[in-house]
Formats: sequence, structure tokens, C-alpha cells
Amino acid sequence: MENAIEVKELTKFYGSLLAVDHVNFEVKGKEIFGLLGPNGAGKTTTIRMICGMLRPTSGTVVIAGFDVSQKPQEVKRRIGWVPDISNLFGELSARVNLEFMGKLYGLDKKTRRERIDQVLELFHLKDRQNDPVKYYSKGMHRRLTIAAALLHQPEILVMDEPTSGLDAQTARLMREIIIDLNKEGRTILLTTHQIGEADRLAQRVGIIDRGRLIALNTPEQIKNSTEGMRALEIKILNDVDQQRWIPIISEAEGVDNVFLAEGKIRVLSKDLPQMIPTVINLVDKHGGKIENISVAQPTLEDAFINLTGKSIREESISKEEYLKRRLARSGLR
Amino acid sequence: MKPLTSLMHSVWIAENDLRQSFKSVRHVIWSLLFPIFMMFTFSFRYGATELDIQFIHTFLIPGIVGMTAMFGSINETMSIVWDKSLGVFDRILAAPVSSISIIVGKTMSGAVMGVISALVLLIVGSTLFGVSFVNISAVLLIIFLASFSFTGIGTIISGLASEPREAMMLSNLLRFPMMFLGGVFFPVEAMPMPLPYVARVLPLTYVTEALRAIQIENASIVFVDAMVLLVYTVGTMLLGSKILMRIMTRL
Repeated sequence: MENAIEVKELTKFYGSLLAVDHVNFEVKGKEIFGLLGPNGAGKTTTIRMICGMLRPTSGTVVIAGFDVSQKPQEVKRRIGWVPDISNLFGELSARVNLEFMGKLYGLDKKTRRERIDQVLELFHLKDRQNDPVKYYSKGMHRRLTIAAALLHQPEILVMDEPTSGLDAQTARLMREIIIDLNKEGRTILLTTHQIGEADRLAQRVGIIDRGRLIALNTPEQIKNSTEGMRALEIKILNDVDQQRWIPIISEAEGVDNVFLAEGKIRVLSKDLPQMIPTVINLVDKHGGKIENISVAQPTLEDAFINLTGKSIREESISKEEYLKRRLARSGLR
Repeated sequence: MKPLTSLMHSVWIAENDLRQSFKSVRHVIWSLLFPIFMMFTFSFRYGATELDIQFIHTFLIPGIVGMTAMFGSINETMSIVWDKSLGVFDRILAAPVSSISIIVGKTMSGAVMGVISALVLLIVGSTLFGVSFVNISAVLLIIFLASFSFTGIGTIISGLASEPREAMMLSNLLRFPMMFLGGVFFPVEAMPMPLPYVARVLPLTYVTEALRAIQIENASIVFVDAMVLLVYTVGTMLLGSKILMRIMTRL
């Protein structure tokens, strides 16, 4: 299948700060590709360069055969960008916002009206179409942002953290929308820091950490790349604070990594048979009783930890560094 | 991209900006109340026991109208900083619109707001104090030039400021000294040295001087001031565009 997006040696420096470091990947036509990484890893900077909103320091991005730095307008016409925060004009209504976007994308009056009606209907916003969008709920904002990105019927949809900050129900609705849009034949590039989301949605995943792409494959293949790493799930009886067991279990011999996942303690090890009795003894020694213990299939998060040596939930960079990156990215500093 | 398409993009960007500004009715009212308030406050000339219509006619109203053009255009151009901080600017950057169209659009909205604000003050002043302008087309030309040169200053501030609060401080740093040294309330000639020299650097001085010269029918002063404003407009626009262009491409 022809590549919809080709990223070659893409690099971005903000002053002396290396935000994206020689990233290479391609997104095939009509696939959902997930760029997975912790906050501040360089995901947003990467997609801003892909969308032609940020000039790379070096490297190239080719969208549907057009080089972004040479034909930015051609590229922008083919991409629908959904930012991580709603950035529509708050004082204006949904319809006026969409009218404006339709004009900028060169849609004539009749097409504009038809498409606006279509997307408002599709995203259940028709009833509130004339209200200023500043009064919309977060979910409505996100739906309108996608509606605005779809107005010019782009071949490629680039979505930055599409479910971030949404309640479970709206996030599920958003995932359904993404799958439907893909079924309609759209290529989707999404970024996420939620491993489960990348696992559920993406056909292929690129893991990005500190600006570097450290893995690129299908979620299944990435999970299988854990090279003998096995996972153990433990639940301690009647203990609300499961977190306190993490440093204790970390001391056990053979344990490579310990973290909390869905309320259970997840222990990664390359030597499970030796590690299990040691962990049981340690828990017993510290006055805990094991309610449940089971060997689990490796997940994408296990693979992430195996690759990066840390959980995606941990801050991979200091808060100061993260803020510095955000400021640099927004062009404010 | 075709020139007409680029121009239409600018018009739509300007239209959208103005629509957004006028939607916030309170914002419009507050921004116009300030010069109206100043007009009333200074309508009693210091030391005078009654209203000096001649002073209001040839000095105060022209000065206030010039000042309002300054406030209107700089305020409107500040929307660039808000747009940047709210991410709205990115939405336009992601669309197939050239950087030049964006700059022209933002400039248009600033200048239009300057002209509209000045005209409102002109109407209020004329109605309340019975002031009539002898040459309305010359007045319009000066207001037009003034609004564009102040928009240029607004784009420079918007390009330099990292966030709205900084932009407000930067703009106040320019606007308030300009308001008091630009001959709005006190004649430049009456200022102690070296303030008249400072005043000659400020575009507002030429705006107020030109509007007053129209009232006393001194065409040569109007012509010279209009030329100075034209130079200001070109200069500030070029510098402002350069700074904005740098932001848009984020080199």
C-alpha cells in the first residue's frame, strides 16, 4: 500500500534543546498509526512539523507525494488537524467557526453549507450550532474540533491526544468515531500517552521517547519483542494502598520492574520461577497477604518499560524540562 | 496561490477577527468609554471657568479622535497574542493560507477597528459639543493613515510579546507616554525641553497635529504630517510583518 506520510530523519532543535531527534517512519494509506510516548517526548512537535505548522531543523516530511517544506499549501489541503486542546473561536458559534474554516479551505458557499450541515449532524451538534462555543462542554469541543478538521474532507487526519482529558464515555465515543473515520478510508495518525489507547486503536505503533523513535511495529509485534520478559500480577488482600508495595517488591532478586496497572501490582522479570517465591516471602515478611497472583501476557506497557526502562506514567523528564519544552514548542520562548 | 484567493483569505481573517471583537459587546463598550470619559474630563480647560468651545473644537476633539484611533488599532492587533496563547493562531497556520495573507488579514482588522473607534468618537464629539470638521475627507485620510501606523506598532508588540499580560504591559508602555506626550491633552509647544523632541518621534503627535491643522485649514502641515505618517505606516508594517513572519515559520 502506498505511503500516506513519509518522515525521514526529522529533527527539531528549540535553541539548544533537541526536541525531535532524527525520527524516521512512514504511515501507510488508510491505516491508523499511533505515536506513543510520555508527555514531552516530542510527539506534538513531530506532528506540527508533519502538518506544516513548524519548520524542521533538518529532515523531510512527504505527504501524499508532496514535500511539506516545498509545497505546504498542497499538504495542508490534504490534512485535517485535530489539536489536543480545542482552539476554536470561543465568542463565535459552531456554525460561524465552521463557515470560517470552510472559507479558508476554499469551499464554495453551497458545498460549505452542505458539509457544515453534514458534520453538525454527524457529531450531534446541530441543536447547539448557534451558541458561542465557549459555552460548550469538553466533549462537545472535541467533537467540534474533529468536525472542523473533516470539513474539507481530508485524506489524512492527524489527531493529537484525541481522548485526553475526556470522561470514559466520551473517550469511548471518540474511539468509535476514529475507527469509523478509518473505515471510511481515511489515514489516521494519532498521538497518545495512553498505552491502552494505542493498543486498541492503532494498527501500527511508533514509540517515541526523548525525541527518538525507539520502536516501530504492530502492537502485537512490539509486545512479542519483550525477549523472555514475563509479567506477574499480584493483589494484596485488604490493602487500599497497593502503591506502598512497589519499593518493597522492587528489592526482590530477579525483579526488573514493578508498577501499578489497573489496581494490581505488575512485576516484570526475565526469571519468573526464581522470582515468585522471593516475592511471596517478601510480602509475607512485611505483613501482607496475597489475595491473587497470576502470570500475565506481556502488554504494550511491559514492552514500553522493557524498551525505555521506565513506566509511561512516570515523568520521563523533569517538570522544569517539560515546561521548557512546552514553551519552546509554543514559540513563546 | 492566486492573488485574489490570498486577498480573500486576508478579508476572511479580518472579518473573523472583527466578528469576534464585536461579539464581545462589553469589550467594545469599555474600550470606547475610556476616550469618551477623557473627552469629558478634559473638556474643561485648566483654569477656565466655563466651556471653551474653540479649545474643544480645534484642540481637544481632534486630539481625542487621534488617540482613539491609536487605542482601537493597537487593542485589536493584540488579538494576535491572545490567538497565539489560545492556540487559535495555530488553526489558521494549519489551513492552506499563506503567511502574507495572515499578516494582511490581521493588519486589516486592526486598521478597521482603529478607523471605526475614531469615527465613533468623532460622531460623539460632534454631537455633544457641536463640533464640525471642515474637511471630512482629509480627516478620514489622517484617521486611515493613523490606524495603519498604529496597527504596525501593534503587530510589533504582538510579535515580541510572549503572552497577553506581557503584550498589555508593552502596549501600555508605548500608549500612555504617547497619549500624554503626543499632544492629545497638552500642546507639544508648551512642553518643557527635551519633551518636544520626544514628542516628534511619536506618530500620535503627527496625527493630532494633522487633525488640528485640518480644523484651522493649514494644508501644508496636513500634507507634511500625512507624509510622516505614511513613512511610519510603511516602516512599522514592514518591521511588524518581519517579526510575525518569524513567529509563523518558527525558525
